[in-house]
Amino acid sequence: MTSAFGRTLLVAGREIRAERRAPDGLVAAVTFTAVLVLLESLVVGPGTVRAPQIAAALFWIALLFAAILAAARSFDRELEEDAIDAVIALEGGRDALYGGKALALVGLLGLVAAVGLLLSIALLDLSVALAGHLALVVVLGVVALPPIVVLDVALTLRLRARAMLVPILALPMLVPQLVAATQGSAAAMTGDATGALGWSGLLLAFALVYAVLGLTIVPAAIE
Amino acid sequence: MPRMEATAKQRAVGTPVPKPAAALHGARVVLDDRVILRDVDLEIAPGTTLVRGANGAGKTTLLRAIAGLVPLARGTRSVGGPLLVLGHRTGLLRGLSARENLAFFARFRGRDASAVAAALDGWGLGGADADRPVEALSAGQRRRASLARLDSEPADLVLLDEPFAELDDAAAALLRGALARLSERGSAVVIASHAHPELDATARVVRIADGRLW
Repeated sequence: MTSAFGRTLLVAGREIRAERRAPDGLVAAVTFTAVLVLLESLVVGPGTVRAPQIAAALFWIALLFAAILAAARSFDRELEEDAIDAVIALEGGRDALYGGKALALVGLLGLVAAVGLLLSIALLDLSVALAGHLALVVVLGVVALPPIVVLDVALTLRLRARAMLVPILALPMLVPQLVAATQGSAAAMTGDATGALGWSGLLLAFALVYAVLGLTIVPAAIE
Repeated sequence: MPRMEATAKQRAVGTPVPKPAAALHGARVVLDDRVILRDVDLEIAPGTTLVRGANGAGKTTLLRAIAGLVPLARGTRSVGGPLLVLGHRTGLLRGLSARENLAFFARFRGRDASAVAAALDGWGLGGADADRPVEALSAGQRRRASLARLDSEPADLVLLDEPFAELDDAAAALLRGALARLSERGSAVVIASHAHPELDATARVVRIADGRLW
């Protein structure tokens, strides 16, 4: 019998392989993030958008919606041929599906974040005082978002109003992560190493708490 | 109540009655405020059980209830061992090949994925077809790929929903062969179908109408 972690890795590998062949989620998320960063910079204006707090907030809001979009696409693919039923009928399938999807979304979101970050720095002409600290905050922010996003998409899987319900359910729970990620990024941009590390720790704690919460709720909730 | 009965000989010599491969007791399923299964009692023994009923009678929901894919509003469900469910649709993930899909399931169960190639080959999906993304295959080929799981992941309990749908005569013959192999292995196989009356001769038949067994 494959271990629970092994099963999670199998689902994540399956997800990444399918996404590589037909990158619906990745293309949609990257396009969405790039367009949003560009639009926001135009709407808010170049002077305002260079402020670290504003630039960081715009980046993380774009990344959050990209995460929701990518997770929804991923589950849509599962529903097409009832592939999801074939997995959750297996012993340990529900846990592995949740963990594997969250893990794969971390990888996908990492790519989207890298593209979004480079675009933000290039298009908005941002200056970053502590690049290493910023990278740490981005990595931990990327790890902190998927547990909640996948949880909410999974909970609303068979509901017709899913497109509306997922942001409504996810956003209140994600406010603390968004605040921590925004403040941490802004601290790294302005050279506040202590602030960046403090917010990073908080992001790590959120990631762990919500991953455990998701693993507790999802097995009973996926239908 | 449709159930597995102990034989007179078993009772006389005190042989333990075999444990059912799966059972539903007082199972009620409600979907969208509609009662789909009504207080169903069913014990599934090794061998083939055929669920007969008209369209909308509750055959698919009965299988999904046994598999744990729908919540029970009331009653209990128990399954004895490894379970394989093949539903109306193939259960294969778009973007992956048939070989990758089947290897995923085999590895998930802790099995050696080397049996996948032979299984697909046996179902006429050898060579390049096995490595094409499943969305590039015909509906019949996808169905064959899905049914090849019967050989790559033999389970104690197998649930098949209209397994003959979309199969040509050759594939239907392969399916009959696979069912015979499962029977020899001692697996419990439950088939929901409203067609293929020839199956009735070799199976225990359970009839369902309006969510009730009779």
